[in-house]
Amino acid sequence: MSQAAEPDVVGLSARLAEATAEVQALRSELDALRKRELDARAELVRSAQLATLGNLVKGVAHEINTPLGALASNHDTTSRALAKLQQILDDEVVTPDELVEVRRIVQAVSAVEETNVMAVDRMKHVVSSLRTFGRPDRSEIDQVDLPQAIRGTLDLARHEIGPSIEVRTDFGETSAIVCYAQQVNQVVMNLVMNASHAMVKGGTLTVRTRSVEQGVEIEVEDTGSGIAPEVLDRLFEPGFTTKGGRVGMGLGLAICREIVDRHGGDISVNSEVGVGTTFTVRLPLRIPEGMEGGESAGETAE
Amino acid sequence: MSDEARETIMLVDDEQMVVRSLEGFLALETSYRVISFCSPVEALAAAEAEVSLRVVVADFMMPEMDGVSFLKRVREVQPEATRVLLTGYADKENAIRAINEAGLYHYLEKPWDNEHFKLIVRNGVERSSLFNELASRVSALEEAHSELSGFREKLVKAFL
Repeated sequence: MSQAAEPDVVGLSARLAEATAEVQALRSELDALRKRELDARAELVRSAQLATLGNLVKGVAHEINTPLGALASNHDTTSRALAKLQQILDDEVVTPDELVEVRRIVQAVSAVEETNVMAVDRMKHVVSSLRTFGRPDRSEIDQVDLPQAIRGTLDLARHEIGPSIEVRTDFGETSAIVCYAQQVNQVVMNLVMNASHAMVKGGTLTVRTRSVEQGVEIEVEDTGSGIAPEVLDRLFEPGFTTKGGRVGMGLGLAICREIVDRHGGDISVNSEVGVGTTFTVRLPLRIPEGMEGGESAGETAE
Repeated sequence: MSDEARETIMLVDDEQMVVRSLEGFLALETSYRVISFCSPVEALAAAEAEVSLRVVVADFMMPEMDGVSFLKRVREVQPEATRVLLTGYADKENAIRAINEAGLYHYLEKPWDNEHFKLIVRNGVERSSLFNELASRVSALEEAHSELSGFREKLVKAFL
């Protein structure tokens, strides 16, 4: 037996060494794959951030354009009015006819002056909405008042949502949460955009928030086309899209889940074809220990 | 100036600040009668009630009805009015397509230039008045023509 076993031991140890080498090779391959997965996820986050940034820029450009137009026009009107008044005053004499003209000029200027105030207020509002959204190039943990943040996000998204969609909000008692503010706003922005894309013929977009046990819940509901049951399961897969392969669009929901996971929360969807879709995001009051500071979305951008 | 006061301009934008800025500018620089609305539905009702509108300026993106649909409806009730679309920067492409489809006279991009706006309104008023004049000439001609036909018939009958 022992004689017969000897070559076996040699053979076995050789096979063991082989197997060990194989395992090591597999392990390093696995490590490489893991690293690639992490890189891919980071890339995903960056792409989604760029898409969000694009939406923000469009929103801001549009929201600022109207008050800017009013201010530019009013500035011109006021300059013209001043020139007219100057002309009347030039000869040091104001005739009764000129007095009528002066009154007319003052009336026109007062009318546009009122709209200056409206325009400046609107621009201030846009800037404060941007502030609550958070800086897309940086990830900071912050205490966030969700209703206020969502209101800002909806204002910035208003133009993209389009005029045929009615936006409703129902903010119940909602505790402030500690989270990556910009990332959570990004999730809301994504869900809102998806909802409005599902309602090309118009409809109602409803955003609700409420406190739940140990956390908060955000609901984004549309009255759009709905999602077929067989598609519903694959919805959160990276690269999955129902939007005909528009670059970057498929990232939206995968990234939402990534961000929500990172916060120790969860995201779910309910949909009925022809009726509409509701996405529900649950977030804890604060990010669980050990999850914060982990690979954050913004680190690479700094 | 007193001639201008007889011409009516309609301004429609859901943004009050836009309507009032345009209104203030026209009040300073012209004597046109200006009526303005923040709701296209209300504006449409007013357009039906007006005797004659010279120029109608409407925003493209409005919640109740977009500017192109609104201006199409205006054409039905005020066929001689010059229709001008106001568009935001981001809506330009859609707006231009719609303008070509709806056969609008002009579009004005936000942020607009006041001098350009005034020019568009003045030209619009002139264009609309010319249309009006043309229409009344045509109907006068038609009347004359039918009168002549009547004479001819009488003449033919008299000689036969």
